[in-house]
Amino acid sequence: MSMQDTPDDAVGRRHDDRSLRERIGAALRSRVALGVALLLTLVVFWILGQRNGASLSDLLSLTVWGIMLGGIISLGAIGLTLVYGVLKFPNFAHGALVTLGAYGAFTIASFLPRGPVLLPFSFGWELLAAMVLAMPAVSLVALVVDRVLFRPLRQRDASLVLLAMASLAAAFFLRSSIYLIWGPDFLFYYPGRANPALHLPLGIRIQADQIFVFVLAMILVALTWLLLERTRMGKAMRATADNPDLAQVRGINTERVIAWTWVLGASLAAAGGVMYGLASQLRPEMGFWLLLPMFAAAIMGGLGNPVGAIVGAVIIGIAQQVSSSFINPAYGPGVAFVLLVIVLVLQPQGLFGKGGD
Amino acid sequence: MIHTCSRPIWGGSMALLDVQSVTAGYGDTEILRDVSMQVRRGEMVSIIGPNGAGKSTLMKTIFGLLHPREGKVFFDGDDISGLHPYQIVERGMCYVPQVSNVFTELTVAENLEMGAFLAKKGDISARKERIYDYFPRLKERRNQRAGKMSGGERQMVAMGSALMLEPKLVLMDEPSAGLSPKMVGVIFEQIKKINDSGPAILIVEQNAQLSLQMSDRGYVLASGENRFEGTGEELLNDPEVGRLYLGG
Repeated sequence: MSMQDTPDDAVGRRHDDRSLRERIGAALRSRVALGVALLLTLVVFWILGQRNGASLSDLLSLTVWGIMLGGIISLGAIGLTLVYGVLKFPNFAHGALVTLGAYGAFTIASFLPRGPVLLPFSFGWELLAAMVLAMPAVSLVALVVDRVLFRPLRQRDASLVLLAMASLAAAFFLRSSIYLIWGPDFLFYYPGRANPALHLPLGIRIQADQIFVFVLAMILVALTWLLLERTRMGKAMRATADNPDLAQVRGINTERVIAWTWVLGASLAAAGGVMYGLASQLRPEMGFWLLLPMFAAAIMGGLGNPVGAIVGAVIIGIAQQVSSSFINPAYGPGVAFVLLVIVLVLQPQGLFGKGGD
Repeated sequence: MIHTCSRPIWGGSMALLDVQSVTAGYGDTEILRDVSMQVRRGEMVSIIGPNGAGKSTLMKTIFGLLHPREGKVFFDGDDISGLHPYQIVERGMCYVPQVSNVFTELTVAENLEMGAFLAKKGDISARKERIYDYFPRLKERRNQRAGKMSGGERQMVAMGSALMLEPKLVLMDEPSAGLSPKMVGVIFEQIKKINDSGPAILIVEQNAQLSLQMSDRGYVLASGENRFEGTGEELLNDPEVGRLYLGG
């Protein structure tokens, strides 16, 4: 721990030598401390909400909505954490893939025959079909971006900073393309369609769509987990994330693993985009504003750890929604940022990250 | 694919691995200069030499992690210089690197499966069982993460993974590095057993004495050049080799 502890120090003495301040510091910088700090933050948010006149059922509803939002964030955060694990750079273009998924599904749905509304939800089969089709479409875009932008950099052993900057460029390029194709106005999958809230016990009000979004997000997350744990390609992804050089040595075609990582990440991002669009509306900036919560969730869970990303996403989703009971909801990404700072100060490796003490 | 026969040597027997006048390095620095060497089928060959002699660079060049600037590498009659590592693995050569040679986040069983990434799906469990026969210790700990294992156990995982595809040639980079003397003995015994069961082995070692004793032949590499070659015994008894590189 400290520099003056030499290996030949008696074991018994070492504990006494550590000053109280040092020990408190070490305790604060542990995973448990981080978990407690995050929980305390949520409790403080609840209390602040109550002080601002929110009722218990309001706060419960917001918490449940937060879990739903967490489901959406986790779809993006898993992709982010996978791309970081396998390709070793933070992909700032991930938010644009979310937006692209939402808009892509919008256009695809407009070509499909409109079926009856699937009550109690507000959408029909055509939106589900459009989402399923948008996933490979966005994957294709991600693969093309990788081929023309990231792969040449990778082959020249570009640094992390260069790859991250390139991804920022890709983010701006994709966002501008979305503005050009779909325009800057808000779009709705089903303009004007009512989506009444269901009344659950304890005064919780929630839309059927929100439940659908959460359940679908969890199904996709579970499928992703199975893919990573049980399939050959999933194990190869984890192996490549763990040790890319050794993956090559073992005969794993790392370029193919990278391609599948993009397909998985982009598909999840596209699905997340459709769900986000269904829960609110389509804006060219929607993915960009999700980027900070997604990064915060991925870092909170420990970069490169998909299960951690889900936990992080739910915590951030709840914090963002509950915070809207005492501050303007537009500050949502700011709330994610505050949580990110707490993580980076206490335990930069995150709740489930590699290494650390 | 161009099929080129390598030069016949040693009474006409064709070499499994034939490194022909290879020059290689990183960036502006040339590390290997005009190195030639051969491994025959089933043979165990040691490369010894002082630190910085280019032993690991030679391994990496053979395995396609580094491409030769001049010269060629032939494996089983095919020119493999310039191929990707995974294409070389496909042809039956595997490599055990010196450090970080296991996937620490994966279990022992998953590590072995990754060693057989290129194999047909059906027979992976049979291949795993074969490795467990070599290393019973790995069977006991098959569901443990490789990162939680001792140095010797990791070396077993690394060797086991490399053997999953039943290669014709295994390259081993300093298998004894960082192990206790007792573990070194165990690992070398295993290497001998593996070699007896079929595959040829090319081994780079600091522990030159032990390695040469077990090898059919050896090469002494110094400052990126091939200085001596001969049978293990010849090199061990060569006074100059002894004086320069065996510390004897």
